[in-house]
Amino acid sequence: MASGIMADRLSKTFRVKVRDPGLAGAVAALVRPRYRDVPAVREVTFSIAPGEIVAFLGPNGAGKTTTLKMLTGLLYPSGGRVDVAGFIPWSGGSAFKRRIALVLGNRQQLAWDLPPEETFLLNRAIYEIPDAAYRERLDELVTLLDLSPVLDKPVRQLSLGERMKCELAAALLHRPSILFLDEPTLGLDVTAQDGIRRFLTEYRERHGATILLTSHYMQDVTALASRVLIINRGRLLYDGQLDALVARISRVKRLELVLGDGVTAEAVGRFGTVRSFRFPNAVLEVPREEAAATSARLLAALPVADLSIEDPPIEEVIRQAFAEGSAANEGASEP
Amino acid sequence: MRLRAWVKAYAALIRNAWLVDLQYRAAIGLWLLWGVTEPAIALGIWWAIAAGGPVAGYARTDFARYFFALMLVNQLTIAWDSWYLDRWIREGELNFRLARPLNPVHESIADNIAYKARSGGIILLLWLLVAAAWPAVRMPLDPARWALTAVAVLLSAAMRFFISFTTGLLAFWTTRASAIMELHGSLALFLAGRVAPLALLPPAIASLAGVLWFRGMISFPVEVLTGAIQSPAALQRGFAEQVMWLLLWFGAYRVAWSRGVRQYGAVGG
Repeated sequence: MASGIMADRLSKTFRVKVRDPGLAGAVAALVRPRYRDVPAVREVTFSIAPGEIVAFLGPNGAGKTTTLKMLTGLLYPSGGRVDVAGFIPWSGGSAFKRRIALVLGNRQQLAWDLPPEETFLLNRAIYEIPDAAYRERLDELVTLLDLSPVLDKPVRQLSLGERMKCELAAALLHRPSILFLDEPTLGLDVTAQDGIRRFLTEYRERHGATILLTSHYMQDVTALASRVLIINRGRLLYDGQLDALVARISRVKRLELVLGDGVTAEAVGRFGTVRSFRFPNAVLEVPREEAAATSARLLAALPVADLSIEDPPIEEVIRQAFAEGSAANEGASEP
Repeated sequence: MRLRAWVKAYAALIRNAWLVDLQYRAAIGLWLLWGVTEPAIALGIWWAIAAGGPVAGYARTDFARYFFALMLVNQLTIAWDSWYLDRWIREGELNFRLARPLNPVHESIADNIAYKARSGGIILLLWLLVAAAWPAVRMPLDPARWALTAVAVLLSAAMRFFISFTTGLLAFWTTRASAIMELHGSLALFLAGRVAPLALLPPAIASLAGVLWFRGMISFPVEVLTGAIQSPAALQRGFAEQVMWLLLWFGAYRVAWSRGVRQYGAVGG
């Protein structure tokens, strides 16, 4: 595999010290420590083709970051196999690390007290980037990320969004073929989030990089990745196209209406379930397969200024996917 | 990596360390003051005690030379890495360092070189100024002795670095790594010769310092510099001990690092 990712029954179990509350508990833990095995990732299997962009979705503590850390060689798995760009990450050494980039949204590599350019120069030395290539890549990143106003300011004076852009630049100077991004838009405002997303799309188009990102912002997913991996409680619940997930999970479509004069909620309610009604706007939910027919009947029966058929918001679909996944898991463990 | 690449990487790391230093001039001034104050206080006390005549063969001027030599040797060999590592490991700052194609130990070594070149240089300057006015603290200009001192200081610096780095690695297993290092520091206060020359310690304690690595940390290089050790046999023994303890601590570092990295992750970040 040139720059693909393969995980086969990947598992990680943490051994956690358990302690009863109170002083007695603390003493007991000291004298006779007890441990409990906490499975963080359970037999996760997937593969990502070179150049693909995939989003890893899941609530906090689902196992996203743990999986990412195993794929980048930071953590040793408890079981299973991994192949990233032809390497086993935790024994791939320098050759492997030169092929990848890891950007952690909440941990930065930029030297806090120095301008970002000093970190770039450090990475030039560490990754042994030739001078000409360094200049060319830095120019490209400065243009794409609009970094010229911040290059010579100490990092501590930059905004969160500016810092994240500089983090990305520092992580991409060695031109990695696989990018692992953990919550790259965490805490950013809408404009900054949008800037990061546009950059990632552009970067992938230019250099064909494989990108695996975790996020809990749905906009990241809808804007960047067509394929999603959904993980909850360490288990992979879904691997596939976002559209297919929406079709599978949500059996309804939404008709968003702008109504003509005198139409009441009751009148609209005859055609489906009213999700919201604030005249002249109304949102109606109807079974997915009847959406077209219902729309036609509604247009014929009521004065309607505008009508559009939409999928339910992706957040709702995902929430439903998690709920169904947990229910399925519980069902399996309690026959 | 080839040699050229190593030189470039170290140059870049040292450059960044110095640039950060420039941002924290006041803090560095305070650390230096601390480095000067401790031996100065010890000297003041022994100066008063030795008023009536030499103590265990140490006259007032011997104490002056001893503590000035200690000031320099300590700044050139001290290592703070356990505190940094403890933070890197507990707060997840080790993550991006592990993802880079450079073992984090090199960043720490480069930091030490930067720190020692800067602090050692300032202390040396300070010493020259004091020596111009006060003959008691002048050292003989004997090239052979300075060369031996350089080797002893280098071995001590390497050993103290691996002691500190390895103790910091304990943070992979315990949240008390810094406390362990503090305990070690307190022992070293006496056993390494920071409050008094080892010759003045009660024999039982002095022999403990000789059995463990403490003598090689500070006392031995100081004694080489002041000329307290003259016989080739004593020099040979001192260097042999330094080399042995350096190798042992280096081995401990290798074991702790490879096991710790495997174990890493149980503490979030």
